[in-house]
Amino acid sequence: MLPQFSYVAARNKQEALSSLASLTGAALLAGGTDLLVRMQKGETHRYVIDLGGVAELAGVTEEDGTLRIGGGTTHGRIAIHPTVRRTCASLASACSLVGSPQIRNMGTLGGNLVNASPAADSIAPLLVHDAVVTLESMDGERAETLSRFIAGPYRTTIGNREILTSVKVETLDGYHEGYRRIARRAGWAISRLSLAWALRDADGIFTDVRIAVGSCTPVPFRPRSAEAFLIGKGRKKPVVEEAVKMVLDEIRRIAGMRPSFAYKLPVVRDLLLSVLGGGACS
Amino acid sequence: MFIGRDLDRVDALEKVLGTAEFAHDLRMEGMLFACVVRSAKPHALLAGIEVQGAYAVPGVLRVVSYKDIPGQNTYGALRKDQPFLASQRVRYVGEPILIVIGENEAVAREGAARVRIDYGEIDAVLDPAGSGKGHALIVDAGNVLAYKKLRKGDVEKGFAESDVVVAHTYETTWIDHAFLETEAGIGYVDEGGRIVIRSSTQNIHYKRAEIARLLAMPEERIRVIQATTGGGFGGKLDVTVEGFLALAAYLLKRPVFMRYTREESFLSNTKRHPLSIEYTTGARSDGVLTAVKVNITGDTGPYASYGDAVCLRAAVHATGPYEVANVWADSKLFTTNGPVSGAMRGFGVPQLAFAHESQLDEVAALLGIDPLDIRIKNGLKRGSITATGQVLSASAGFVETLKKLEPFWRARKKRKAGSGFGLGCMYYGIGNTGVANPARALVELGEGGKVILHTGACEIGQGSDTVLLQVLLETLGTARSDVLLDRGDTDTSKDAGSSSASRQTYVSGKAVQEAALGLRTLLDKAGYYRGRSLVDIYCAMKDGGRLLFDGFFNPPATGLDEATGQGVPYATYAFATHMTEVEVEESTGACRVKHVYAAHDVGKGINPKGIRGQICGGVAMGIGLALMEEFIPGKTASFDTYYIPTSMDMPRVDVFLVEDEEPTGPFGAKGVGEPALIPQAASVVNAIRDAAGVAVYELPCHVERLKGLMEKKKMTG
Repeated sequence: MLPQFSYVAARNKQEALSSLASLTGAALLAGGTDLLVRMQKGETHRYVIDLGGVAELAGVTEEDGTLRIGGGTTHGRIAIHPTVRRTCASLASACSLVGSPQIRNMGTLGGNLVNASPAADSIAPLLVHDAVVTLESMDGERAETLSRFIAGPYRTTIGNREILTSVKVETLDGYHEGYRRIARRAGWAISRLSLAWALRDADGIFTDVRIAVGSCTPVPFRPRSAEAFLIGKGRKKPVVEEAVKMVLDEIRRIAGMRPSFAYKLPVVRDLLLSVLGGGACS
Repeated sequence: MFIGRDLDRVDALEKVLGTAEFAHDLRMEGMLFACVVRSAKPHALLAGIEVQGAYAVPGVLRVVSYKDIPGQNTYGALRKDQPFLASQRVRYVGEPILIVIGENEAVAREGAARVRIDYGEIDAVLDPAGSGKGHALIVDAGNVLAYKKLRKGDVEKGFAESDVVVAHTYETTWIDHAFLETEAGIGYVDEGGRIVIRSSTQNIHYKRAEIARLLAMPEERIRVIQATTGGGFGGKLDVTVEGFLALAAYLLKRPVFMRYTREESFLSNTKRHPLSIEYTTGARSDGVLTAVKVNITGDTGPYASYGDAVCLRAAVHATGPYEVANVWADSKLFTTNGPVSGAMRGFGVPQLAFAHESQLDEVAALLGIDPLDIRIKNGLKRGSITATGQVLSASAGFVETLKKLEPFWRARKKRKAGSGFGLGCMYYGIGNTGVANPARALVELGEGGKVILHTGACEIGQGSDTVLLQVLLETLGTARSDVLLDRGDTDTSKDAGSSSASRQTYVSGKAVQEAALGLRTLLDKAGYYRGRSLVDIYCAMKDGGRLLFDGFFNPPATGLDEATGQGVPYATYAFATHMTEVEVEESTGACRVKHVYAAHDVGKGINPKGIRGQICGGVAMGIGLALMEEFIPGKTASFDTYYIPTSMDMPRVDVFLVEDEEPTGPFGAKGVGEPALIPQAASVVNAIRDAAGVAVYELPCHVERLKGLMEKKKMTG
């Protein structure tokens, strides 16, 4: 059973921000698929401010090569949004695989990012797209890159009085893009491992390589050195193998050696060999 | 007319409309709520219990301990060894210690959280092998719960005659029933001062007897009614909420409701036994099996539950559905401070099927024989002698199940790299092993000329209500609208035994048929079959007393010889073959089950649609057993970490029925409840071997384990 709390239904962004500024001990309900689970286990909050009714926080707009996704947009919406599917396919794919249909219809992108689980499906694709989050409070607005915003497992730089109102995403045209997650069953499962990628090549030469690995290190990350190594090189087996080795070294450097790596590292290896080698990976 | 027809389930409409009253839906005026305080330690003396904290919560009315029990503080289906409430000592994490009763659920749970228990911890025995050798006693009787032997022929001679011998050890783990509806019920005292329990259960008469012992009251003073029940799978055979509810209602004289949270259900419910199976198979070069030697050891937890039955059934079914001249099986269950293991869909046979089917595929591969051919060659058929020396004189359609799938097997084609096909076969004795397991049924011509079926057979989602009505309708030749069902009330029905061991269609079905034949004779004499109406007959005869007919059936079986396990443990057996197609992804270790062909000898399919439903459910559960389900004591707390398959893991399922009629069954029917599950995991494992070239000796074969096996194979070439 949930502990007692006072419920505040914000009707617009201003109301949400001012409630958050004035109420002490308030939690934001942005779908609730994590918050309610924690509260069920005993986490207490004096106030719960529900963002579900704030229309300004939901929706997707595109202008000048940038996609702006409202923090309150559900996974379900993102997964089927035509613009996201066209210009940010890995994110659409990731959102389509979050939890179950019920969770996708309640859970939001903002909630997923602020919860900052190492297994959050949305983070890896957003890293690939160099996403920037917008945080608003009564004092104003600030922007931060997602890679800085996610400070550690379940830790972000968000302030007590801030709301993650939107995510800006670079659209990628002409890229081969995808997302893959591994779990113990086909749906409704926590990712044991995830991989997002966006690749561009010209005549077999990599012109851009973006890779993000999730559920492996404390926070999802991009193996920048391996990416840089590949750019300008041909899509050849020894090249790809060298790059994959660099990724694995990077994982070990970040996380040390974990028991789960006996499984995860060979899978990262095989998936990346397939993706970078030009094979299908789904 | 009614047999072999897809009659709509009698409970379908109210379940679809949401009007069915499941145990969780039960409410009464002035009802209190009870919850259980459970042990946090696997093995400890209860050094001190402070309940003031609970009483300090406004609305907490009573904290009940073992001292409040007027009768016997022990229960158990096979041995009365498990306390309702622990007295001096706890033996597993989750063992009930106290009941806290409050005005509502929040209050009761708050009160339970505020009870303080001081434990004097004792070393916990968690390893079954160590348990057998160790000196730390968990129960006074010693740490071997059960030891069953099976001896047929001379295995050493059999191995000497063999051209190949295959030996491996197979390991399985704890599995939760994961029924949709957790344990729940309501208890109250009726106007006559009797204790009434309505609960989510697989049996009512057994529970009435346990409550009578608990309260030291005669059985007539207890009434148990089955609420609409959301699944059982063996997990609602043991007493769950019923004892607590009876005690609470008895002490407070008010209605008391309780329901387990999912976490509480995971913690407290019995589990499928983890078994370690050392299996050696010998075969001649022509594929004939010459010897099977099996050594089964298992962890049964601290109390018996259905451990003895699992131990024996595992031994009896050790060879699988094959005729083997020389068999030696030892089956031992050890007491530990792990979870209480008990009945779960198959009583040990799904674990054995995993072993004997894997063995057979390895033997076939060594000999260069097709897996289907080796099964046909050794398969039990009419006239065969089973491992217990029983001669199968009728209804033995195993080879026919193989033949049903033969065209698909011969035509199988790997669609891509990672595709694979596997067979899994089983036989399963219907009803309890080597003991009497009768069912009674009552059929009445009642008010308004309605025919009423009074049955104690619990409908737990498997479809027994519908099947029993079909048997009644067929026997009487009446219309569906002429009959009423009165099910699951100890006041109006006679003991039908539990809904377990795939027995209700066969045993209760026969009892219903017997009772209906009694009424049929009366109706015949009264002119019903010459056009006289049921109302007329009822009005003419009602003054002579109730027009009630008793039906009884006890399957003919004998006890087994203690030293050799020889005898006739069951009157009849179900047989099945599943063929499974999988796709294994080499990069990730993910295994997807694509297609299952399932052929079952059910004797006679009374409701084919119902059978298909059972088989699809069994396939799902078998995929869970093979690929993902794993209860880890101390770690697994909820569905967050305990994965069962979802619709996205379901393959296409094609069902084929073989109807080799069982002469003692109702219209030839046997059972399919557990057979639907038993061969599935085995067929997945064999398909993985075909797809990835790796042998799986430990379940579940989840992504990590399968990837590990494939990596190892790559390393060693």
